Amino acid sequence: MQPQTTDPHGPLRTAGTSVLSGRGLVKRYGAQHALAGVDIDIQPGEAVAIVGPSGSGKTSLLHVLAGILRADAGEIHLAGQRIDQLGETRRAELRRTEFGFVFQSGMLVAELSAEENTALPLLLGGSARKPALTAARRWLDRLGLGGKEARRPGELSGGEAQRVAIARALAHEPRVIFADEPTGALDTRTGRDTMNALLNAAAETGAAVVIVTHDRDLADSVPRTVAIRDGRIDAGGAAA
Amino acid sequence: MNSFRLALRVLRADPRTRTSAILTGVGVAVATGLVLLLVSLPFATEARGERSSWQGPSYQSGEDGPATIALAQSSDYTNGEKITRVDVAALTDPSAVRLPAGVPEFPAPGEALVSPALARLMDGLPASQLADRFGGDVDGLLGADALAYPGQLVALVGHEPADMPETTMPQQGFSTAGAGQDPLLQFLAGVGVVVLLVPSLVLVASSARLTAARRERRLAALRLAGATPRQVVGMVAAETTIAAVAGALLGFVASPVLHAAAAQVPWDGGTWQPSDFTLAPAISIPIVVALPALVLLAAVLGLRRVVWTPLGATGSHQRKPLHWWRLLAVPVAGLLFFGAITVTSEGEGGTLLVLGGLATVIGAAVLAGPWITSAIGGIFLRVWRRPAALLAGRRLREDPKGAYRASAGVVLAVFTGSMALTLLPTFESLAGSASPFQDSVLYVSTRADAAERMTEQVNRELARYGQDERAVAIGEVLLVDRQGTAESALVLDCTSAGQLLRLDMGGACAGTPGVYNDYPIELDHVTVTGAADPRQPGEPFAADTPMRPIRTTSPDVVGTPIIDPAVLPAGVAPETATVAVPTTPANREVVRTALAGAANGAQVQSREMRLADQQTQLSDLRRVTVIGLVAAAVLAGCSAAIAAAGSVLDRRRTFGALIAAGTPVRVLARALRTEAAMPALVATVGAGVAGVLVGIGLFSLFERGAVVLSPWILAPVALGALVAVLAASVCRPALNRVRAEPLAEE
Repeated sequence: MQPQTTDPHGPLRTAGTSVLSGRGLVKRYGAQHALAGVDIDIQPGEAVAIVGPSGSGKTSLLHVLAGILRADAGEIHLAGQRIDQLGETRRAELRRTEFGFVFQSGMLVAELSAEENTALPLLLGGSARKPALTAARRWLDRLGLGGKEARRPGELSGGEAQRVAIARALAHEPRVIFADEPTGALDTRTGRDTMNALLNAAAETGAAVVIVTHDRDLADSVPRTVAIRDGRIDAGGAAA
Repeated sequence: MNSFRLALRVLRADPRTRTSAILTGVGVAVATGLVLLLVSLPFATEARGERSSWQGPSYQSGEDGPATIALAQSSDYTNGEKITRVDVAALTDPSAVRLPAGVPEFPAPGEALVSPALARLMDGLPASQLADRFGGDVDGLLGADALAYPGQLVALVGHEPADMPETTMPQQGFSTAGAGQDPLLQFLAGVGVVVLLVPSLVLVASSARLTAARRERRLAALRLAGATPRQVVGMVAAETTIAAVAGALLGFVASPVLHAAAAQVPWDGGTWQPSDFTLAPAISIPIVVALPALVLLAAVLGLRRVVWTPLGATGSHQRKPLHWWRLLAVPVAGLLFFGAITVTSEGEGGTLLVLGGLATVIGAAVLAGPWITSAIGGIFLRVWRRPAALLAGRRLREDPKGAYRASAGVVLAVFTGSMALTLLPTFESLAGSASPFQDSVLYVSTRADAAERMTEQVNRELARYGQDERAVAIGEVLLVDRQGTAESALVLDCTSAGQLLRLDMGGACAGTPGVYNDYPIELDHVTVTGAADPRQPGEPFAADTPMRPIRTTSPDVVGTPIIDPAVLPAGVAPETATVAVPTTPANREVVRTALAGAANGAQVQSREMRLADQQTQLSDLRRVTVIGLVAAAVLAGCSAAIAAAGSVLDRRRTFGALIAAGTPVRVLARALRTEAAMPALVATVGAGVAGVLVGIGLFSLFERGAVVLSPWILAPVALGALVAVLAASVCRPALNRVRAEPLAEE
């Protein structure tokens, strides 16, 4: 029997196991195989870059692992517990509490301030106003956005907006952060800064990070890279 | 590729643009259909009036030619239904009289032509209840061209010239002058155009918003790629023109269906012929052209930003806060409106001034509405506890004009409904008659010398019909005081007065005969004259004539002094008289037949009949108010729903990301419902209050009395709130659609 931690996330987190693992994952869109039997393990606190050409299945893999899409075959375990068979409601709850998401262009609510955008998932999850805003301010401050809490997405630069998205993904201290082309809309330098901000913040909380990117340079800045081609893990392209 | 072909390609390729174009087309079609109908209403009443103009007397002068006919029009009733009775006599060879359309022949004395609906009624009732009123012989039927409306009850009764009522005027022929446009319907049509056109155009604007963001990006990309402002405007014009012109043509083609439906709505006693609503091409074509042109103009004006600053549309932009001076529009409009009311009630202004005041109030709402919306958003932002209030507050604060625009249709419908429901119950409470006769009494005013003959004939007929009731002739005299002020009085014994009039005689009849009234009259200060002219010398009462107090039994009856014939000063001979008969519900129609037969076309009156006219008008008002409100609510609801769906689709990627990140759709839907419904709910309450205040102001034009506020006054606010909530509920399916789409799609 494995020892239980005193982690506030509860019994799902067990020491010594993958925080997230996929076995034999298959995802089809009609006759086309987006994933054709993928096995992958993500360790706690680990950062993994999934790379591959367009249409290789990397975004599908991220969506399947995060429970946004349901796999046609295979199993997904979060901290040792199978989650692929859960209903949509329970999977949505997992995504809200255990996962954080960073998308390519931030996808912030244009009318809300940086602080409110960061607090929004907490508020929608039932948090009260004060603690949600306090957490949001703390994360914005940690990501170098102190003093810009009241700005709207339109008043922020692309890199700043993406850091707000990172703050939003981290505010509820998830186990795993999924980032889909998080620097795709940014220039190289800003992209690198944003990437560092994400990895550093995740390291502070011990969250694993799964990044989908087609940018090799960006992938090289991540300790582990998994290459995917035609829906399968490309052993030749993978770097541990 | 030219602009038109590019627009067609976009419509074919993009389902969302197609949906938006279809909704825009539907909005323009509805607006076109409604405007064509509403503009035709005054002409429809004119068409009615022209068909039925022959039923009324002609006021042409004798210079138009020698008199050929004598004609008297009166209203009769059978079981509450109005019969228009036209009594005629030929003053020349009947074949020389020019007959109106739909009248097959000139009725000979003792003959009658009736409308098909009246003929059916006559067939179904004993002659003593209806047919005997027209002399017995029905010689033919009147055609549809002779009737104001299809089911109209009309009788054209022939007489010898000597048998015509004394009020008859000889005339050159049947009147051909129509009654003109009904001013009430004209006013209502004007209000209807505003109340229904605004939600229709909001529907168009909301539909356009569905693709506004996407179109702005597309056009900005084209501008950045080198398209000139003229080319961009051309593309939008082509895109909008396709939808708007198709909609206008659809509205035009479908308008006969709307006319057929409108023809079933009764007005002024009956329904319509569908052809009544036909508009001349000189009016309908400009409408069909103007509406798409307006929509096109609005679309092109909306492009200013992308045309002049293409990058502005792709990047972000900060909205300017609204100025507080917008709020000043409310007190200013209130002052102007009530100023217009005051001036008009003093006889100085007119309908136009009041309509101007009303337009100012609506204009003030357009100015102040967005500021109030923004202020409410500010309150939400200070006090929010849930994300729904936060999202709603930010949305209201960020785009108050857009938020207000989405609910403008609901606001206008609630405003008008509240105004109408303030006025209608108050008018209903005023409906009444000052006639002193009891509800059950039927009576005819006539010359005193004819009254005796009429009374005898009525009593003979009543005896023939086996009725116990008998007609009484009541003389009419004037009491003239020393200042020359005259007051009508009836010459009637005390017991009959108690039976026929709305008076409580109390114990007055127990004493000797006298003068009876609900307030004391100094009999030694008045004289009595039987003439209609109070300046004619009168006779004083005998010195010992008693004045006996009585009470009226209804507040709306005007006190009428009763003079017992025994105390009428000698030498007073009334010139006019009233022949009155009490009735029971069972014999009302028989008594009316006896009285109408003897009256020879003179008007048989009853308090019931007068009330019926008022009630018909109130029912008409109530009916068109309800129809207008429901139509406005449906249109406003559709536009609010489209606006709500548009606001979700505008932010589809953000909401898609939130759903992907685990936010339950129901939580987001609740937040968006609040966001969409809250401004409409607040505006609805404000519009309700404003509608009541304006209704009170308008009512003061007609009466000084207190306004009657019925609980129904809350109905428009409740309806508006319901529409707002239902419209906001489309957020859920819109979110479900967002969830079903891939995250990256845009």
